[in-house]
Amino acid sequence: MQSKLSDIELIEQTLTGNQAAYADLVKRHQRFVFTLALRFAKNREDAEEIAQDCFIKAYRSLSAFQRQSKFSTWLYSIVYTTAMTFLRKKRVDTDSIDDENTYIQLENSSSSHDINSAENKSRSYYLNQAITQLMPDDAAIITLFYMGEQSLDEISKTLGIEANTVKVKLFRARQRLKEKLEHNLKHEVKELI
Amino acid sequence: MNTIEEKLWNYIDGTCSEEERKAIDILIAQDEVYRRKYEELLALNQEFSKMELDEPPMAFTYNVMEAIRAEHAQQPLKASINKRIIKVISGFFIVSIALMLIMVISSVHTGGTANISVHLPDSLRLPDIKNYLSKPVLEGFLFFDIVLGLFLFDAWLRRKSVSKQV
Repeated sequence: MQSKLSDIELIEQTLTGNQAAYADLVKRHQRFVFTLALRFAKNREDAEEIAQDCFIKAYRSLSAFQRQSKFSTWLYSIVYTTAMTFLRKKRVDTDSIDDENTYIQLENSSSSHDINSAENKSRSYYLNQAITQLMPDDAAIITLFYMGEQSLDEISKTLGIEANTVKVKLFRARQRLKEKLEHNLKHEVKELI
Repeated sequence: MNTIEEKLWNYIDGTCSEEERKAIDILIAQDEVYRRKYEELLALNQEFSKMELDEPPMAFTYNVMEAIRAEHAQQPLKASINKRIIKVISGFFIVSIALMLIMVISSVHTGGTANISVHLPDSLRLPDIKNYLSKPVLEGFLFFDIVLGLFLFDAWLRRKSVSKQV
């Protein structure tokens, strides 16, 4: 059962040494942090590592949290920087994976085996599939806007860019998501025929 | 220049101006192309809003808390400094200084008949404090005090504004 205390109250309690309060804070935000990490990492193991790292970093610098913005905005900015660092590191370790097509291949190879028929694929499945095929930045901006319920200003703080740039990026990300969704649905219809 | 889609997304998000909103209202009502596009984007927007969050592994919270415990990450927190310990230490010093002062005061003869003469060794040369307390030194000391005062005042104001926000 999750705590009814606000984020700020839980932070205050954590700062007085109550680790259980921080566990409540983790439980409250873990789903979104994990989802956001998954948008960058593209696989659950790496996403878990990024998300875990974020909560540890947030704990370490909790006393530095200024409370001028929401805790979630501050936490998501940690997720963004941690994920970007992770991606950069991964790019060095492996061959370039920044090509958009690679993401599509990765997604197709990992998900095709567990799908038996078009009947059990809901439209939300296709949407999730399409979002995983987007570039990390696009996927993150869509996730922050729709799932994190962040305003354009809050997203601009999280990503460290101007609100107007966020608006433009969001527009482009939505367009790309729409294209991917349409492409996937068409592809599926062709397969059925 | 904004495309139809861009204008409609701004309209759906509520980020366009009042004038633009009114203009788009009219276009949606009168222009079939606009209306269809609006309905398409609105449906898409609703679909995007229904996207579900992914679930992390069951032991996620436990793993995070274990990692925190393992790293002794609680050290940087201000919570790790027990205020009671600081109070006990400062209390000890205050009591010690007070006792010393009482002892010194009680050992002083107040009768006025005592003839106290202190003889210092000839080789001992005490520094003349007046030499060190020159004008630049005093000004520097004063400047440092002012800066320190402003810094503490700023910290106090910050704490006050934070507690107000809470």
